[in-house]
Amino acid sequence: MKLNNIKYLLAALTLTVIVVSCSDDETEMPEEMVMATCDDGMMNGDETGIDCGGSCAPCEVMSMDPDFSGTFAQADYMGRPGINTVLSSSAVKDMHNQSIPSTMGAMLQPGFEAQLEAYHDAYALALGLTVEDVDFQPNILGDILNGPDDDGFTNNPVSATVLTTVLSTDVLEVAPNLPTTYFNPGSGAPNYEGAVGLTGRKLQDDVIDVSLILLFGGGDGARFNGEGGLPLLVTDGVGLTADNITATFPYIGAPE
Amino acid sequence: MKKTTKYALGLGIVLSAALIFVAADHIDAPGTAGTTADIADYFAFEPSENSDNTTFIVDLQSDVLPELAYGTFDEDVLVEINIDTDDDLIEDVVIQAIARDGRMYFFGPVTPSTTGLTSQVAVDSPLGDVEISGSSAIVETTANGVSLFAGPRQDPFFFDFFRYNEVVAPSVDDNAGFNNPGMDTFDGANTMSIVVEIPNSLIGETTAVNVLGIPVYKTWITTNTKQ
Repeated sequence: MKLNNIKYLLAALTLTVIVVSCSDDETEMPEEMVMATCDDGMMNGDETGIDCGGSCAPCEVMSMDPDFSGTFAQADYMGRPGINTVLSSSAVKDMHNQSIPSTMGAMLQPGFEAQLEAYHDAYALALGLTVEDVDFQPNILGDILNGPDDDGFTNNPVSATVLTTVLSTDVLEVAPNLPTTYFNPGSGAPNYEGAVGLTGRKLQDDVIDVSLILLFGGGDGARFNGEGGLPLLVTDGVGLTADNITATFPYIGAPE
Repeated sequence: MKKTTKYALGLGIVLSAALIFVAADHIDAPGTAGTTADIADYFAFEPSENSDNTTFIVDLQSDVLPELAYGTFDEDVLVEINIDTDDDLIEDVVIQAIARDGRMYFFGPVTPSTTGLTSQVAVDSPLGDVEISGSSAIVETTANGVSLFAGPRQDPFFFDFFRYNEVVAPSVDDNAGFNNPGMDTFDGANTMSIVVEIPNSLIGETTAVNVLGIPVYKTWITTNTKQ
């Protein structure tokens, strides 16, 4: 800006101030209207906001950030799917949700094992047998971990106690650097070639069938297979509904 | 009487009190069943082969049965994804999500100020936030490669829940177990999903291993209500 322009601008501003001053002088304002107060609904006097700041009360600081303060207490808990539903007796379902994984194993395991045996007892009675006739049999995890035994199912380390000990520490393991498979027995009994699992849970994984096979499938995964007068307890007979999932984030289909 | 029990009895299914709860974690216990803090389901997976990301999906609430809380994220419910990376079953890092005024705010991954049954929001470690979706998915991707979503979705869980209730209470007259094919109780149900896809480098290395000796994050989710 040229110097002359600045001079004119300053002159104009000065003139404006004078005019405004004269105007104030010439208008007889009632005294109470020109006195700034802290409750007149205007920012005046030495206020820094409407009726606040300066000689009035400090202005409230308006924050745009949401308030996240406070303490939050655990209400519900989940690790592996279905654990609380299937293996907790009604007396401990709330306790399960109010516990932490480092202590829940010891707390929950005895009840889980009792519940597992109770399911077998219920079928024994429903089939006209005695509770001693039908017990949990070591499952396919044992053969997958240790290799098949010559006679099929003996020396399998995955007893009801071992299985419920693993399940009662209710955490979902997810491998950061491997494809995710909840559990896949590969070629199945007796060699289980290509068996993989315990690397997370995909939307496609049939976690109910896996759980049923581990709980009721016995040494070959097909113990209670619905044949020969036995109940079908190793599958619930349902699979993923195709439009439930999408190929891209967020991976689940739009609501119905 | 529980709402779920009334519904089941209305269908003529006689259930004992022990048998009214639904998997995977839907309506799993008396204290949280049908509340806005009720966890429905949880998934954690590698989103595609050789991906360096992990995807966490937390489903809250469900409309699979009538009269359940469904449809709105409760601003007094803090969702926490807990991750143990050294095999002591105590969370080393957490990812948090909580709703405020139509948006879902995410925090972490961060070492929590307290472990165990109580939590505070890790306000000093914001991860990002995303508008809560309607029926069309709104996705936010942060500068460090994290994808965020929150909103209603189909319930991807599949389970013949009604037959299950009968299967676990067999009788001499009904001892055949499941039907094949069965009936997917969750077909047509919806849930309130929170989805985070995050580079593993942000979570960190893990020394925890599974029973097969494979390095894993040991994870669990909680809902936590404001006191």
